[in-house]
Order: sequence, then C-alpha cells, then structure tokens
Amino acid sequence: MMGAYFRKMTGTTQSPPRVGLAEICWSWLGAFLGIGAVAYINYGWLDATGLFLLIGSLGASAVLIYGSIKSPLAQPRNFLGGHVISALIGVTAFKLLAPHLWLAAPLAVAFSIAVMHVTKTLHPPGGATALIAVISGPQVTNLGYLYALIPVGAGALVMLAVALLVNNLAPRRRYPEFWW
Amino acid sequence: MREAGDQPERAPTPGIDFTEEDILEAMRAIPGYLDITPGDFKEVYRLAFQHALERLSRAVTAAEIMTTEVVAVKPDTPVAEVAAAMGRRGVSGVPVVDGENKVVGVISEKDFLTRMGVKDAKNFMSLVAGCLVTKGCVALPIKAALAGDLMSAPAVTVAPDTPLRDIAALLTQKSINRVAVTDPDGRLLGLVSRGDIVKATMGRVAS
Repeated sequence: MMGAYFRKMTGTTQSPPRVGLAEICWSWLGAFLGIGAVAYINYGWLDATGLFLLIGSLGASAVLIYGSIKSPLAQPRNFLGGHVISALIGVTAFKLLAPHLWLAAPLAVAFSIAVMHVTKTLHPPGGATALIAVISGPQVTNLGYLYALIPVGAGALVMLAVALLVNNLAPRRRYPEFWW
Repeated sequence: MREAGDQPERAPTPGIDFTEEDILEAMRAIPGYLDITPGDFKEVYRLAFQHALERLSRAVTAAEIMTTEVVAVKPDTPVAEVAAAMGRRGVSGVPVVDGENKVVGVISEKDFLTRMGVKDAKNFMSLVAGCLVTKGCVALPIKAALAGDLMSAPAVTVAPDTPLRDIAALLTQKSINRVAVTDPDGRLLGLVSRGDIVKATMGRVAS
C-alpha cells in the first residue's frame, strides 16, 4: 500500500524532446517584443499617471504564448480569461480578508485554479495574477477591481496582439490553435 | 491490489504496440513545443484507437461480414451425411433448414459430442478420452439419428442489419460459435462465425 504510494513518485515516462533552434529563436523574439511592448507602455507612458501595466505574471504568460504556443494553456481563451478571472478573485479575496493576508493569499490562488478549471480557462500565470492582487501592497490594492482591467486585462491584450503578429511570422508556426 | 494510477485491464488492442521512442520521434517531426508527455500521448492514442475500433464495429453489420456460401442440411438428413458434409467443408457447424429454407436449428460439433456421451467438457479431447476407455466406436449410439434429432433448436439468429458488436456479445453470452442470419420470415441468408468477426475486424484495422 505505502509502496505503491511512493512508487507513484518515481514517474512513468520521460521529458518531451528539445525544440529546434528556430523554435528557440522565435520564442525569444516573441517574448522580447511582447514584454518589450508592455514595458515600453508601462515606463514610457503610464509612469507619469500613477498607473502601470507590467506585472510579474505577464512574464510567466510570455513563456506560454511565445514559448509553448500549441499548448491549450497558451490559447487566447485561457490567456485572457485566466488572467481576468484570477484578477477578480484575487481582488475579492483581498477585500474580504485583509488584513489576514496569510489566508487571503492561498484562497485567492486556490479559487483561481478552481474557477479557471470550471470555465475552461486554465492559465498557470493566472495564479500569480491572483496572488499579486493580495500581496503587492497599496499600489495594487488601491486599484480595487480596476486591477482586472489595468494592468491585467490591458497588459494581456497587448501581449496577445504581439503573439498574433510575431508567432504567425514564423513559417512553421501558427497561433492560435483556437480562440474560444 | 492494483496500484493506484494503473489503467484498468483491457484486451490488447491490435496495431498499437509502439514505443515511447516512436512517439518521441513523431514529436520531433512536429515543430514547436508539444505540451504533452510521451506517456500521456500514448494513453490518448490507445484510448482513441479503442474508441475508433468500437465505432467501426458498431458500424459493420451482419450482412457485410456473413458467409453466404453456407451448407445447410434438412431435418431429415441422416447425421452421417451431416458429419461428412461438415468434414468436407471444414466447418464446425451447419444450419438446419426446412423446405422453405427457414432456419429451424443449428448442428455443431458440440451437438455431436453431447450425443456421443461426452458429458463434462464438450470438446474433442473429452471424446478421445471417452473412446480410449470404451469398446467400439462412441458414435454408434447416433448412427441412425437424423439432423432434426441432434440439432440445437430453436436456432440463434440475427437480422442482416445487426451490428457486429452485438453479434460478438451474443456469441459470448450464449457460448456459441456462429449465428444464422435470416430475413424477417426466418429464411437463411448466411452465417456469421467467430472467424468472420475476426476477419472483419482485422480488415477494418488494416484499411
């Protein structure tokens, strides 16, 4: 009984193959331009207004929408839906539970995963988006539900536009696999 | 106890005994990062293949796979002739039809064995075993019998549009090796044996 339990931890299969050099270069270019666009808007235009667009979870999304573009997790439905839904849940968790952040943080992430599953919008960086809403202090928490629109929704839209433009430049790449 | 995470046991599916290395080769041929492990892919493929087989077996009907060149005997045919006909054709069972070609029963090797005193396991080796401890031929008791005396009746029959899947289930459930295919009036159209089902399945897989 216990043996079977621990044997499950040994794994049963192997890692997928390494991608080719072209794939690596296209992934690099997409991420550079995608994060670059968001960062440029963030530091170039928004800084003066007190708003911001660049949040950590967009870096995680870049891995998926530029580096693993066939993945269901990387498709527009998951990318946009996962971020916005998780942002709403994160803000809600903070509003209901602050200052008990030790409880708000895990609840925000756990509920984000559950709701993303239910809505078929699972997108791993969504968990970070929810967490950021809880742990980032006044600069984020003062936004309230606006957080789900700016930076989260708008930032994701900019990155999606870059993904559509850059990923489809590559002769052997195609994005997205599905929209909705 | 079965290990958690193991798949439920299934009959081996033909045609998918490929290795993870084969899958890795296929994944290398597709540009871009595929977000799936070779193990998961193999499982998806196995289930999809099984699903396809089931779908195809539902689609195939008795009429498509039945043997139409069937030797049928009459109820008043002497069993000696029945046995000779079965031997000549190399079949282990024949339908029994009346004057209007309506199926009234089926005679199989099992019916012979039963009447020849084989009680427990109705197979050839039981008969041999019986032979070796008796004097004379064990077939003597049925020498004068007719097909109508030996046959299993009523015959198990199916309609021409019966799905292969249902026929397979019927054969298993009744522990028989063939069913007669009949029209709505019970007239003989053909015979579907276990062999016909195997052949039909392999043909579908190959094509």
